[in-house]
Amino acid sequence: MNIYIFFALWLATAASTLVARSRRMVHILCGCYLTIHAVFIDSLLFRGRYLSTSGAFFTFDEAGTLFYILLAIVALFVFRHSEEYLKDDAIEHYRLYFSLLMLLTTAITGVYFANNVAITWILLEATTLCGAGILYYRRSKPTLEATWKYLFVCSTGIAIAYLGILLLCAAAENASLNYTELKTLLANGNPLYLKVAFILILTGYSCKMEIFPLYTIGVDANFAAPAPASAMISTGLVNAGFLAIFRIYKLFADTPVFDWVKNVILATGVLSLIVGALFLRRTNNYKRFLSYSTVENMGIAAIGLGIGGIGVWAAVFHVVCHSLIKSSLFLQIGIVRHIYNGYRINRIGDYININKVGAIGLMAGMVVILAFPPSPLFVSELMILAETITAGNWWLTALMMLLMCIVIYSVCQRIIKLCYQPNQDELHISNINRRLSYSALILLIGAIIIGLWQPAPLKEIIDTISTL
Amino acid sequence: MVLTLIILYVITLIYLSTVERFRNYTSIIAVQGWILLGIALLQLHTLNWVELGFVILETLIFKAIVVPAILMNVIKKTNINRVSTSSSSSQFNSQMLSIAALVVSAVTTYYVADSRVHMLFFGVALYALLSGLILIVMRSRIFTHVVGFLVIENGVFLFSMAIGVEMPILINMAIMLDILISILMLGMFLTKVDDKIHADDSDSLTHVKD
Repeated sequence: MNIYIFFALWLATAASTLVARSRRMVHILCGCYLTIHAVFIDSLLFRGRYLSTSGAFFTFDEAGTLFYILLAIVALFVFRHSEEYLKDDAIEHYRLYFSLLMLLTTAITGVYFANNVAITWILLEATTLCGAGILYYRRSKPTLEATWKYLFVCSTGIAIAYLGILLLCAAAENASLNYTELKTLLANGNPLYLKVAFILILTGYSCKMEIFPLYTIGVDANFAAPAPASAMISTGLVNAGFLAIFRIYKLFADTPVFDWVKNVILATGVLSLIVGALFLRRTNNYKRFLSYSTVENMGIAAIGLGIGGIGVWAAVFHVVCHSLIKSSLFLQIGIVRHIYNGYRINRIGDYININKVGAIGLMAGMVVILAFPPSPLFVSELMILAETITAGNWWLTALMMLLMCIVIYSVCQRIIKLCYQPNQDELHISNINRRLSYSALILLIGAIIIGLWQPAPLKEIIDTISTL
Repeated sequence: MVLTLIILYVITLIYLSTVERFRNYTSIIAVQGWILLGIALLQLHTLNWVELGFVILETLIFKAIVVPAILMNVIKKTNINRVSTSSSSSQFNSQMLSIAALVVSAVTTYYVADSRVHMLFFGVALYALLSGLILIVMRSRIFTHVVGFLVIENGVFLFSMAIGVEMPILINMAIMLDILISILMLGMFLTKVDDKIHADDSDSLTHVKD
């Protein structure tokens, strides 16, 4: 089946959700939406759609398929948690939220499968529009401020990326915007155009991948959005940004400026890691705290791309596993908000006695996100560090180790505080908390399994993706 | 003729750094819309009627009429008239930066010179981009930030004409998104930001931070 039919079905479901009259109807439509995704995955994996092209603008390649399957898994949990998380809200807000969440998921799906630079750009901009609506869900002053900033900075960033795409287009003699064709065309492109284009695109897309320089807007977005939506933004949307940058990075592999491109992305990664590590210590809000962890992890992935070699494989693997871990942590922190009605690090605590399963989920998540074995991130970070040592980049190895120590200290301190420090806030405990905590744990267990045993098909698919 | 319009466009950008009243900003945005319409008509005559109609619709209806009208509405609603109350030094800095941006754009254009890109358009688009960024960075009021964003969008439109003549899909897509985002931002500014956060200094937008 053509991808456009699926897009039409997803959009129709989102539109129907917008006018649903009851929560039950919203839940049924969410079920329909996720079922369409399941049918799409089935057609991809078992009905010969994998590696084929749909229309002029979409290809079901390895990278798109891998990230799409991850998105579908995360979406399943995000929708379920959202239903519980927002169950007391007005139906108008409730249905709008789910409608926008469906649109966001659809736009991200489009980004994953787009085989054209311009289509990627358009769909990334579409994620800004959907995301802005989700951020403004609470309709409070802080969420309005965050939404305004998100719209403003993302739009400016995406406009800058558009300039880069136009320059890329000029370097390719205006011949094509298809990734495969561009790769050949750019091999002899004007080096100055290529360099400027890469800088502009990287800057613009950094607001989606949550790396330096426009990382702040992702942090604000995660802060303002309801926690389950933050799980989607911090994984699905961040992966969309990563994939958009990664596809551009691969375009430059045969160009004379590739070494320069790697240095730029390495510098970006190091700066993101520095920012992430330092702000993890500074923030007083658990959601912003998790967002800075995303900045830090995306920085590590960017460093992997920057050093090249096995680092590229490690970067892709890191992003894949980070999606499972971070979505689990955001869903767990959503339950924390349910119980404490806030995310203030200095005030809330004693979580281990209030919700044992949730506290264990958070502490296990802490171990896994910090890349302690059996975390899959241990594998990727070790590979990246090994590659920096092999390349003789001792300064980078030392800097990364130092920053990772700061990250370990900050994350352990904050999560242990939440579990054991005396609580100073009012509690709102309900029966659903434990059920949701178990459900969020599933994603984390999935990540740990990948850490212990990477299935051969996963290794092969990442091998193919990371081949430049 | 195109050269004349481009020079006029540059003049509006220089003027942008000297004005203080919001009405003048709105006028400049409207004038830029008309100039872009003229440039589009002269530059994109090779496009088919549908695509050309789309471009005209955007420049004339949207950039020259609708957006300035919304901006005027905001000015009336919020009763704010000036960029800043005590900004003589910031005014001077912004003018100096604008001149520096013009020089940087000219020098960059000289070095980037290539047969594949219309250099005049490239230079002016770059200047527009820098002018927009200067407005956003140097001025503290949210209204000016919106104007800065619109100036950047106009620069991007101009740049797409410098390169995208043979790729109308690019221009059309940029236009479509331009319309959507600008309307959303202006709509939000008009209906929400002013109600909950005063459309005054951007200092009032500093609560979400670490």
